[in-house]
Amino acid sequence: MKAGKVSNKVLVSLLFFAAVGLITGLFSGLVRLGFLIDSPTQPVTPMAHGPLMINGFLGTLIGLERAAALEKKWSYSGPVFMAASTVLLLVGPVIAGQWLLLVGSTALTLVMSYLYYLQPKIYHLIMAFGATSLLIGNGLYLAGYPIYSLVAWWAAFPMLTIFGERLELNRIMRPPIWAQQLFGGLILAWIGSLVVTHIDRSLGWWIASILLIGVAGWLIKYDVARRTIKSVEWTRYSAICLLTGYGWLILCGLFGLWYGFPTAGPLYDGLLHMMFVGFVFSMIFAHASVIIPSLSGKLVPWNSYFYLPLILLHGFLLARIIGDIVWWPMVRKIGSYGNVLAILLFLGGILFQLIRASLEKKQLTAH
Amino acid sequence: MDMDMSRLKSASIVQKLREVIDPELGVNIVDLGLIYSIYSERDMIVVEYTVTTPGCPMRRFLQQQVEEALESLNQIETFEARVVWEPEWNVDMIKPDVEFFAHPPPKAQL
Repeated sequence: MKAGKVSNKVLVSLLFFAAVGLITGLFSGLVRLGFLIDSPTQPVTPMAHGPLMINGFLGTLIGLERAAALEKKWSYSGPVFMAASTVLLLVGPVIAGQWLLLVGSTALTLVMSYLYYLQPKIYHLIMAFGATSLLIGNGLYLAGYPIYSLVAWWAAFPMLTIFGERLELNRIMRPPIWAQQLFGGLILAWIGSLVVTHIDRSLGWWIASILLIGVAGWLIKYDVARRTIKSVEWTRYSAICLLTGYGWLILCGLFGLWYGFPTAGPLYDGLLHMMFVGFVFSMIFAHASVIIPSLSGKLVPWNSYFYLPLILLHGFLLARIIGDIVWWPMVRKIGSYGNVLAILLFLGGILFQLIRASLEKKQLTAH
Repeated sequence: MDMDMSRLKSASIVQKLREVIDPELGVNIVDLGLIYSIYSERDMIVVEYTVTTPGCPMRRFLQQQVEEALESLNQIETFEARVVWEPEWNVDMIKPDVEFFAHPPPKAQL
């Protein structure tokens, strides 16, 4: 007897749209760096980089993950609207795309809030705040606010989702109640500091930076990753990704304390990519071996090849940040291209392993 | 005899379900305390299990794995793997001294 109201094919189709959001978002990022600058037509506008990465990719992916968990048809409205907005942002009617982003993030907020209703625990509340952050960011985007004034809300979406997920998973470490309350307090205060950035950008980000260091410190102390780093294969890999991601959070906090929250230029670029590449993509690499089976029903066979994109991701990001701080445009550019390469190598590796496993399974069945 | 057969069947189901690993925690679902009950209902074997939270991304995967495990048992003709939410799962339901992410970790299902 097979359960499941929505077929894996639907999930894989939506996963495909998340991949479209990622690939076009990465391409758009390259266009920002001057890729195909002399071309009379550019297939993707450089302005779409942020919306595609945050909404088209992460919004669709995270929305899909939650919908698959809830197994309710209405819960798929979030990723469906996010996927549709990706298409609209790419083909032209940007305002319509922005409206769909708003609808998609509203649906995602409802899903996360429903999860909190089902199980009113702090980790679900943090994840619900994550979806609400996306909704706030998209609302400001539609209202025409400049990206620098709303990007912290966009960043808060994947960050709060991950913080909530880690707190939930690390129940197995049995952190004391006071430590769980401290974590919740740090997160709530961090959200408060994002509100403060709209009144006093420097003060708000200074507080946010200190709190971010606190959150990272908590995660390093209580995350199971410190134990599982002694394990092997995906488990060890995941732990390394998690701990390096937390390391980038600390660097991000220190960077924010030193340079504040610039509104444009290389330091702005550096800060955002420490958050989005250093932390968020480390987390994506860390969770890939779990996300893929949850959505496709297929385990990804381990291969030590996956260390290559991980090393490239961190190495090139470091180069990019140095290029941003010291203003070496060429180093910054190499670092940025290298980051795209690392992400593509990781995705390629995942696809290769899935296809190989599928072919091996067919061969075994044939015999 | 029937009782012995039933116990035997139940034991083999539990044994098979031990092969289903939650990839998030690296522990089989029996030791995690996710299997709540196994019983017979009108000639059909029903396995009631839960997941760690209602938002657990592994829910579909575990459903698939539990169904595949039950399908592979010759003694069972019809079955249902049913997710239940009561009682709510918590870490105290994990078997004492369980080793998370034990070595070797779960292998890919070929």
